[in-house]
Amino acid sequence: MVDNKKGNKHFLQILNSFKKKKHQQLKNIVRIFSIILKDRKGILGVTIIGIILCCAIFSPWIAPCDPYEQEIANRFAAPSLKHLLGTDNLGRDILSRIIYGARIAMTVSIGGVSVAVVVGVLLGTIAGYNAGRVIDNGILWIVDVIRAFPQIILILVLVAVLGPSTLNMIMVLALTAMPRYTRVARAETLSIKEEEYIFAAKSLGAKNKRIILKHIIPNILPPIIILAGVDMAVMIMIEAGLSFLGLGVRPPTASWGIILRYGYRYIRLSPWMIIWSSIAIAMAMLGYSLFAESLRIALNPKDSIEKQAGV
Amino acid sequence: MLRYFVKRLVLLIPTLLGALFLTFSLIYLLPGDPASTMLGPRATPELIEALQVRLGLDKPVWVSFGKYAWGIITRGDFGESVWSYQPVSSLLLQALPYTIILAASSMIIAIIIGMVLGILASAHEGSVLDSIITGFSLIATSIPSFVAACFLLLFFAIFLKLFPVMGAGEKGNILSQLHHLILPSLSLAISWIGYIAYLLRSTMLEVFGSDYIVTAKSFGIPMRCIAYKYALKNAIKPVVALVGLGLGSLFGGAVFVEVIFNRPGLGKTIADAVFARNIPVVQGGILLASFLYVLSNLVADLSYAYFDPRIQYE
Repeated sequence: MVDNKKGNKHFLQILNSFKKKKHQQLKNIVRIFSIILKDRKGILGVTIIGIILCCAIFSPWIAPCDPYEQEIANRFAAPSLKHLLGTDNLGRDILSRIIYGARIAMTVSIGGVSVAVVVGVLLGTIAGYNAGRVIDNGILWIVDVIRAFPQIILILVLVAVLGPSTLNMIMVLALTAMPRYTRVARAETLSIKEEEYIFAAKSLGAKNKRIILKHIIPNILPPIIILAGVDMAVMIMIEAGLSFLGLGVRPPTASWGIILRYGYRYIRLSPWMIIWSSIAIAMAMLGYSLFAESLRIALNPKDSIEKQAGV
Repeated sequence: MLRYFVKRLVLLIPTLLGALFLTFSLIYLLPGDPASTMLGPRATPELIEALQVRLGLDKPVWVSFGKYAWGIITRGDFGESVWSYQPVSSLLLQALPYTIILAASSMIIAIIIGMVLGILASAHEGSVLDSIITGFSLIATSIPSFVAACFLLLFFAIFLKLFPVMGAGEKGNILSQLHHLILPSLSLAISWIGYIAYLLRSTMLEVFGSDYIVTAKSFGIPMRCIAYKYALKNAIKPVVALVGLGLGSLFGGAVFVEVIFNRPGLGKTIADAVFARNIPVVQGGILLASFLYVLSNLVADLSYAYFDPRIQYE
């Protein structure tokens, strides 16, 4: 009995040291952000993301005009003082539509990435924790099957079959992005589950659920966060691409892809729709790539290049 | 090596079967009754029933899945188009060469330009040229193929009228076909030029710092010779891996480019079938795309192992 208590004390010490580590993780996040903000690329990335987020949240206040108000007499206008970026095929203000378009881009990318991260990480840790068992093989099989298709083609077909809507788009994007998180989470779990503090938690009688949620997941987050940053750019691209093809959000809604779509359709009448929507899409992607890149350097200075090739 | 290859091939079988099942189930994911959804609101009950029989919807799911899978595995029979009654396999085989040419030519462009830029940047590290190339490659990686395609179309085909707007060129006329190939392959290549240049620059710089390069320098071997003969050999490995991964994702990007330039190809066939709700063609198309994708990933893995013998075949 006495021995047992002693043993428990020892394990508690280990667990406490782990809790301290967790506290340090918060400090680490602050530290990581300070590293990012020292890097020129990082500053640029954070600034671009900040601008787009502001556009998305405060669009009614920032946009100079109503994005749906049509001025048929003033179609395909070149940039002027009244319409800073010109007007589109229905005489709508392109600048306002681009500002409102940030909403769709942000909703879809943030929604898609969050669902993918939650589901992917859960499946990955469960698979890694039960490595070699049926459940692990089952999860790996599902992941491999999804990965067997080129992402864009699978998304295109699934969205077309299920019917275009914002929710369907988020779900399909999440489904096709999930395998990456599952694989990373599984690999990280495999290495982490041999650590001392997991044994400690187990011998104190912690349930598997608790171990996975409280002890494993917080410790595998860094690579997941980097992946999420990269994926934000990918999802913004795919949303725009789907809307461009007419499979994304429905037309009067302002989306960068839809502006580009009509720019392409009326390519001989006005270049402005193509120019501005392209810049918006490319800037958003650039912002996230820069952010992800400097995040990668901040989290893992040494093997940033190797990882890039491997992702 | 051969054993590793065979093992990888065998491991692919359950994955491909799963992919086959996912593809097959697409038709059941259609909202409502698949046959009437595909035919639209004006279809008569007789037409709907006939289509149900043709698609095997009148039989239990497992029976028609078995039939579908058996047809593909034994005869390469993907069913027939809902509208034209043509076999899906011949439709796809007609389109495939265009996509392969497009993907291959854009990868070649990306490799050549990307490697030149990456080597130039690493050889002049810290100079103005280096920052221009690094900046360009970062921006290039953020340009999706459809954005690049619209831009190139706007400037080179509409404003400058240097290149044709659409199509794949006259049959049999190679010059015209090449002329039609330049803009599409360039728009697919742009982001890969960025990736390759950026990656090669950083790996080259890493290799330049290693001991054997310092030794070579101390022997008085000219820098140009060191860069091409010694450093590139090691710096290129991650690039090979990247290119391998890229080949597969080019099939995805090709959808947009083929639609925008109205070029025949696998992507255009899939996109057209998607809009016409021609599900058998969609199924065949994404199965073929997935097969090519899996295959190119496998080849990429193998070539990576070939370029870096230190990798163990497990």
